[in-house]
Amino acid sequence: MKVLYFAVLRDVTGKREEDWQQPEATVGDLLRALVARYGHGFERWVVKDGDLWDLVMVLVNGQDVRHLQHFNTPLAPGDTIVIFPPVGGG
Amino acid sequence: MHGWIGKVLRVNLSTGKVSTERLDPAVARDYLGARGLGVKIMTDEVDPKVDPLSPDNKLVFVPGPLTGSYAPSAGRYTVVTKGALTGAIASANSGGVWGPELKFAGYDALICEGAAPKPVYLWIRNQKVELRDASHLWGKDVPDTTDAIRAETDDDAKIACIGPAGENRVFFAAIMNDLHRAAGRSGTGAVMGSKNLKAVAVVGTGAVTCADPKTFERAVMKARDMIQKHPVGGAGLRLYGTNVLTNILNQVGGYPTKNFQDAHFPNADKIGGETLAATLLQRPKGCFACIISCGRVTKITNAKYAGEGEGPEYETAWGFGGDCYVDDLEAVTKANFYCNEYGMDTISMSATVACAMELYEKGLITREDTGGIALEFGNAEAMVEVTRLTGIGEGFGKRLGLGSYRLAESCGHPELSMTVKRQEIPAYDARAVQGIGLNYATANGGAAHVRGYTISPEVLGVPFKVDKDTIDGKPALVILFQNLTAALDSTGSCLFATFGIGADELAEMLSAVTGVAYTTEDFMKCGDRIWNLERQFNLAAGFTTQDDTLPSRLLHEPIKTGNSQGMLSRLPEMLPAYYELRGWDTDGIPTPAKLGELGLAA
Repeated sequence: MKVLYFAVLRDVTGKREEDWQQPEATVGDLLRALVARYGHGFERWVVKDGDLWDLVMVLVNGQDVRHLQHFNTPLAPGDTIVIFPPVGGG
Repeated sequence: MHGWIGKVLRVNLSTGKVSTERLDPAVARDYLGARGLGVKIMTDEVDPKVDPLSPDNKLVFVPGPLTGSYAPSAGRYTVVTKGALTGAIASANSGGVWGPELKFAGYDALICEGAAPKPVYLWIRNQKVELRDASHLWGKDVPDTTDAIRAETDDDAKIACIGPAGENRVFFAAIMNDLHRAAGRSGTGAVMGSKNLKAVAVVGTGAVTCADPKTFERAVMKARDMIQKHPVGGAGLRLYGTNVLTNILNQVGGYPTKNFQDAHFPNADKIGGETLAATLLQRPKGCFACIISCGRVTKITNAKYAGEGEGPEYETAWGFGGDCYVDDLEAVTKANFYCNEYGMDTISMSATVACAMELYEKGLITREDTGGIALEFGNAEAMVEVTRLTGIGEGFGKRLGLGSYRLAESCGHPELSMTVKRQEIPAYDARAVQGIGLNYATANGGAAHVRGYTISPEVLGVPFKVDKDTIDGKPALVILFQNLTAALDSTGSCLFATFGIGADELAEMLSAVTGVAYTTEDFMKCGDRIWNLERQFNLAAGFTTQDDTLPSRLLHEPIKTGNSQGMLSRLPEMLPAYYELRGWDTDGIPTPAKLGELGLAA
């Protein structure tokens, strides 16, 4: 699956996008795997008070997961996942 | 009085008479200040049918009760008039440091009426107010005007002025203050130009007093803490500015391109906030008492577009970028600098260029019309050049200066102007985000995003997330945001404080500084009152429910590509419920019961 990073997540990961080879069952699984890979710099933008942060914007194939099953939204190979940390407004 | 000063300055430009009057505490209590007070003054003193560019229109500069206090990010003022672009009530909001200076000089509002026989500028130093000859300044751009007036008055004078665009009555000319901040929309600059008023220079050595300093301090510290802890208000906006929205809107498929012919831009990333931060950004910048610092100080060293200044903001980057199908960030930024230097609203300027590009694409405008410029989508140099020509009032720029509605109308196709009430729609596609479309159609000043910024809940998820594609609940949501914003605007607070605080905290700070006890409900009711007063002005000016609409394209032409492909605005399904919830009849006219509830005359 393809993962696209925006804003500060680009600095944290050093990438704009990557092909994520591991099969992650859900959006939550993917975010936790990314935290494990990229550490605290990534975690502070996606985890709040120990839980995945609902201000994080995740799109799966263009759909905001907050209107699907949120962090339980299932993922499939070939999906495109876009992650925006909560930085935007104006 | 506290928070408020208690004094209004009135300058009759026709006669040269300068006078002051007491601010009525009952009016201050019900309309707060800034936008609300300005609208009340316009309603009381100006015939809504007046020609905006006639001496009978008035131009009111109004800070709010929080302006000049140390409430976080509360340094704003509003310019209220009848808009040259729209013919509707116009309230243009600006930051920087000019608004607080007017309070420090001792005034809650400056009313400019009539028209000077020759160019003048107003010089205010506390109680000393004089009209000075500005013949030698007429024709100067905003930076040169600012420097020249400071040399004649005071190095520290805060200057609000027009550039050549306002002098030439470009219908979307802005009033610029502190060089790079704009009271941008609806042509306030053209009204100022029609009055032969070049600038208002202010030095103030007084202060804003506080009714209950201890309670205010507690409320302010709490509000600061909430804003700083919020990811957007506390970090995001300082890191990336508003232009971080470019990639967000593009990914959700609501980023209008080619005059709204589509809503996805493959090269959006090249002109977004991340790229700006990595290339042209020198440092962030904040306004008076601001802890957010969303401003962008930028510099282009490349000789082709060399310049420096502030911006571009998201709307500007969208308009000169995706809407014109330009992916060159330096070109976009240069056009932004021209708008600041000549004094023009970047949204209306850029969207008018995009409209002209579609007219050119369709052969309704030719190279003969443009003076040889190939005004094609994607042509960055053409986009920059026609912006410059509009600023200085030459060549094809003279036609662009009428705005996209009158331009498209002159070509026989007004439906190709993406406007509401003749004001250009900003950077969020109403087909991809239902609530913002309802806000565009009903905003009293014409299409505008900040009047009811439902992008926050519909796209970002602040303060809660709603589905951008549904219409359920959207009328109520739009009304909530419109009323809250009307009240917030009228305090002098910046809208971005709402990335952190809400009506509760604003009411708390307002009560402590003024000594007038506002509950949250009182505060929201002020917003509702101000909204309805604006509506009444517009109805008297001749607007009807027919004007609460969107361009045909957004109602009938589905988005072609991107993640909101196939969508249309469902405005007609939302408007009746909006009227009903507002307490208006089916023609959008406030009922006597509604007016009575708000203490407004029928």
